[in-house]
Amino acid sequence: MKTISKGGAAGTAQANLTRQQLEELEERQKTPFQKVLDLLISLLPLVAGLAAVLEYRLLPDSFSNPVPNTYLWFLLVCIGLYAVRLLYGLAVLALKQDKRPFQKTRFRAPLYTALFLLLAGYDYLTLKTGILTQPLVPCVNSIMNAAWGDRVMLLTSALHTLRLMFIGYFIGVALGLVTGITCGYSKRVRYWVDPIIKFLGPIPTSTWIPIIMVVSGSLFGGAIFIIALGSWFAVTVASMTGVSNVDKDYFEAAKTLGASERQLVFRVAIPHAMPNILQGMTQALSTACTAIMVAEMMGVKAGLGWYITWAKSWASYDKMFAALFVICMIFTVVTRIMNMVKKHVLRWQAGVVK
Amino acid sequence: MAEKTENAVELKLDGVSKIFAKVEKEGITHALKQVDLTMKSGEFVSLVGASGCGKSTMLRLIAGLIPPTTGKLTVNDKEITQPDPERGMVFQRPTLFPWLTMEKNISFSLRMQGKYQGNEERVQRMMRMIGLEEFKDDYPSQLSGGMAQRVALARSLINQPNILLLDEPLGALDAFTRMNMQDEILSMWRARKQLAVMVTHDVDEAIYMSSRVIVMEAAPGRVKADIPIELEYPRNRSSSAFVEYRNQILEMLNYGAKE
Repeated sequence: MKTISKGGAAGTAQANLTRQQLEELEERQKTPFQKVLDLLISLLPLVAGLAAVLEYRLLPDSFSNPVPNTYLWFLLVCIGLYAVRLLYGLAVLALKQDKRPFQKTRFRAPLYTALFLLLAGYDYLTLKTGILTQPLVPCVNSIMNAAWGDRVMLLTSALHTLRLMFIGYFIGVALGLVTGITCGYSKRVRYWVDPIIKFLGPIPTSTWIPIIMVVSGSLFGGAIFIIALGSWFAVTVASMTGVSNVDKDYFEAAKTLGASERQLVFRVAIPHAMPNILQGMTQALSTACTAIMVAEMMGVKAGLGWYITWAKSWASYDKMFAALFVICMIFTVVTRIMNMVKKHVLRWQAGVVK
Repeated sequence: MAEKTENAVELKLDGVSKIFAKVEKEGITHALKQVDLTMKSGEFVSLVGASGCGKSTMLRLIAGLIPPTTGKLTVNDKEITQPDPERGMVFQRPTLFPWLTMEKNISFSLRMQGKYQGNEERVQRMMRMIGLEEFKDDYPSQLSGGMAQRVALARSLINQPNILLLDEPLGALDAFTRMNMQDEILSMWRARKQLAVMVTHDVDEAIYMSSRVIVMEAAPGRVKADIPIELEYPRNRSSSAFVEYRNQILEMLNYGAKE
């Protein structure tokens, strides 16, 4: 807990300390042995990367592997990036006495090491020995070649998926906010909307797909509807909970400060419910991701989900894996962005929740 | 901006009763029964009494947060029907909005009334008054209890209310912060001489701060005694007159020295 420095005389001597210096002051001194160990650990990813390269280059392939250099370049670029990062960390440490970049690298080093070893192990099990059934589980090199060779198709599919998903998602979120907030705030509206939510809520979104396929003329519109429905539900429930749980004290305080009914909703209830609302939006996003994939695999004639079933029907397993990889990347990025938004909007919570 | 000119106010409670339905049980509670009171600008009135005597209810009625069951509350003959920033209220919990920085909390009221533009310097002045300018970008979760309560005070004082309602504002603070803040609140009140009405459990605090102590009784809540405190400010907590007032009030609350 902070104390109020009235005079501040005692505080000024210490106040010139920067945060970095303070952290160093409070940190336990490392022994020379630990320092050497840190350095060695930070070098491990380079060793593991080299091992992966050697495994790929030196062991004989168990079947033909056209255009073999894609994977090799990928490995080299990864090793190079890590080396640059490590060198930067060491340079900052040596020149500016700032440990943080190096320590971040050191912290990540074991993980990167494991990744390189995983890549090497996977390559050994597929390309080198064929222990994993070929061509059902293609090696990394052929997945990469497939992705590059079919890049235009993959890109258009990805864009199609994103478009469909986000149209549905944003429609659902917008409607969900409206219903959720009004239901949370007004008991009369909740009386009518609550039964609908209770009735429709437990039905998994994907269950709607066959019905929609029959009813809706356009599959594009049908998919949007399904995604919007799922997002709407998640956001409605979350924001309703958030708004209806606002502490009565905040409303009373706001009233004595001259807030109107409208301001009570927009300036008190909604900001207070923001953690719930964002949680609902995150949940809606994962529902939307699932729903779009199912919709595309079951009927929509474009997008990454469709691409996977299409590649499977042609037995192009490398393309299938390439599409999976793209899906994984897209969803990772989308989730990342969502988390960044969350962190920014909820910065007032820092210290409260953790 | 110049200070708003002082409006002398007269707050009247005229046969005010408040009855609550009991939660979970049949029956009703008489929180307040037939209270007649008049308070004026320049007074610092403390309400003391055992819990359940309706002192907080009285404050919330004055604030306009709840309507009376019978009777009438008026300010300068105008009936109180809803909350108004003219009657600022500070709660036992600071109830600062956790999603707003300290500065935004203090300016909240001005923003709500669309009066922020052109009055920014009033916000600065409030922060200087509570001595927390350097924390203006901190969120309430980063403030200590005493700091938060100072901010809450500044948040309602920014409206320069003619009536300041204090619902056990210092109840949750440690003894030293509490005594400091008693002096701070007193000096704010003495500078503007508005009407202050404070609920407290602490008889010493009531005598130290108030010009008038209203002792209340429970079941049904009603006024038992209305005691003017005729001592010069700043008061000495151990003077014989002070001790005499304390004994008198404690005795009324049935905590007098037992023979």
